Amino acid sequence: MIKIENLKASIDDKDILKGINLEIPAGEVHVIMGRNGSGKSTLANVIAGNETYEVDGGNITMETTDITEMSIENRALEGIFLCFQYPVAIPGVSMAYFLRSALNAHRKYQGKEEMDALEFLNKAKAILSELGLDDSFLKRSINDGFSGGEKKKSEILQLLTINPKLAVLDETDSGLDVDALRTVAKGVNKFKNENNSVLIITHYQRLLDYIKPDVVHLMIDGKIVKTGDMSLVEKVEKDGYSWLEK
Amino acid sequence: MIDILKKISSDFFNKQGYPSKKLENWKFTSSKNLIKFDKQDSPDIVSRKIETDESTLLFINGKLCLDTLENFKFKDNLEIQDLVNINDENVFAFSNTFSNDSMFNLGMSDFESGHYIKFKKNTTLENPIKIINFFENNSSDCRITSFNIFHFEEGSQVSIIEKDINEGTPSFNLKLNKFICDDASNLKFGKYIEEKSDCHLLSYSYYEVGKDVCLNIDSMNKNSIFSKEFIEIDLNNTGSDAKINILNLVKNEQHLDNNILINHNAEHCTSFQHVRNILDNKSTAVFNGKVIVAEGAQHTDSNQSNKNLLLSLDSTAFSNPQLEIYADDVSCGHGSTTGALDENSIFYLRARGIDQSSAQKMLIKAFAKEVIDEFSLSSVQDISEIALDSWING
Ligand SMILES: Nc1ncnc2c1ncn2[C@@H]1O[C@H](COP(=O)(O)OP(=O)(O)OP(=O)(O)O)[C@@H](O)[C@H]1O
Ligand SMILES: [Mg+2]
Repeated sequence: MIKIENLKASIDDKDILKGINLEIPAGEVHVIMGRNGSGKSTLANVIAGNETYEVDGGNITMETTDITEMSIENRALEGIFLCFQYPVAIPGVSMAYFLRSALNAHRKYQGKEEMDALEFLNKAKAILSELGLDDSFLKRSINDGFSGGEKKKSEILQLLTINPKLAVLDETDSGLDVDALRTVAKGVNKFKNENNSVLIITHYQRLLDYIKPDVVHLMIDGKIVKTGDMSLVEKVEKDGYSWLEK
Repeated sequence: MIDILKKISSDFFNKQGYPSKKLENWKFTSSKNLIKFDKQDSPDIVSRKIETDESTLLFINGKLCLDTLENFKFKDNLEIQDLVNINDENVFAFSNTFSNDSMFNLGMSDFESGHYIKFKKNTTLENPIKIINFFENNSSDCRITSFNIFHFEEGSQVSIIEKDINEGTPSFNLKLNKFICDDASNLKFGKYIEEKSDCHLLSYSYYEVGKDVCLNIDSMNKNSIFSKEFIEIDLNNTGSDAKINILNLVKNEQHLDNNILINHNAEHCTSFQHVRNILDNKSTAVFNGKVIVAEGAQHTDSNQSNKNLLLSLDSTAFSNPQLEIYADDVSCGHGSTTGALDENSIFYLRARGIDQSSAQKMLIKAFAKEVIDEFSLSSVQDISEIALDSWING
């Protein structure tokens, strides 16, 4: 699905990603764990095309398309979706308007007809109820005044509405209570199928009790230093990261 | 009476001349732009008929059109006099700020005729009435001055939507207005200017507010080449509330200035100023907002907010919110922000597949929406949204 080769990125001349190699085939769930500040969110942002980061080398290929130089919106339309660690609040733009615009941008790109307001509403309402959110959620401004949990659920609502090919979840499990965590996990599992891929960035094992990863990567100082299976997660929970630095 | 006032004003202007940039109220707006305009001589000729309905009052070059008054649905609620026939000096009383402004005095000395329009006690109008200010002239660089006084008697509830239409060669419209809001009156005043010609506008609106009054001013100005509007409100008695919400859309080399002064002269009044400017190209916007809380005006609650959205590097906003407080038990807030569209917000929208231009438009609309939502008149909200749409796409 996505292949990242020797990716290097910096901000304000500070090197953050120092040669990332990562390949996620269709149908797989990968996990990245790593210390605070090791560059996980940077990687997620660079995949999504955030222009505040300078890409200094390497390639990102989505299916067969090289997207390294592609605009933010075209990457999204090609199937990349980032669940933000800190979603921004946008007062004055309603969730309904935003979601429908986003969905229709995708449909247009796929050569499908735009979805009318009623059809969209039915689709959105079904997802809302699965996430335990009230219909009135759609009337609110994007992330404006949302609680931490609501923000994360809003990201999952967008994920399920847009239904991309690759979902990058940046600490979507952080700050959730037990029930919300379960709801979010249910949402991700609903999204997941053999034709799409998920990249989970997390600090904890708890989300992975619900979503079984195929591959686990550990990141230190802008590089993936170890790749393995679920046992790596248990090792990190127990011993932290210092053993990797020796 | 009026002749004496005109004489005083004329002397004032002749002595002071056009205001200099040294004056606080004229610091960022040059009166030089206005000097080339000469007083218009024959202000009555109009080349086309203006369609009006039964809820419209038509003013042609500042003068109330008495023919349309015949059809006016609410004419029984009105009492109208020519200003020439008024001898009560209180009716002509203006604030010191206006009386000491030389352009205001120029207007007073200039104007040829105006009306005193009174909405009688307890007049209640369900729907807004319309005021159309139609300006037309044939000679270039002329100044058209108007002066009208609106009086809302006790308990009256009136909504007004005012629209300016300019035709012919670009002129300079100098507008003087006074609004007297008696006790327990409720006035919603919506102004809408969508300028297509190159008219200059300088307006002075003075509101004299009594007890338990509810005053709302909604204003939307789009594409004025030069516009400076003074609004001054005297809250003279307890329990009154004044809200001003203004949205301005400026581009090219347009220059726009809102000069607002609210005087809290009595206890337990609230006021709210909210001005949002969206600037593109090489345009300039000025916000001069001030609240003065007089000694003894306890329990005043006031707020001023000015936000400027700069869509280009060459646009400029001057923001100057001020507070002068001479009472101790008050709650007064003010704030001002100026900046470009938020990059993080644009990234967020684009990361969902929304193209850059649509994302920007969405954010511009969101910025405007926060003031449009505050407008008291739904028709001004609707007009503003349509005007904004075409402004963004135009
Ligand atoms: N916009 C930015 N401006 C300046 N520095 C940045 C920016 N974004 C990231 N950095 C720096 O890059 C480094 C990596 O940050 P990043 O957010 O990618 O870490 P992370 O692995 O996601 O950490 P966490 O686990 O705390 O979320 C940090 O040193 C951070 O300060
Ligand atoms: Mg992070």
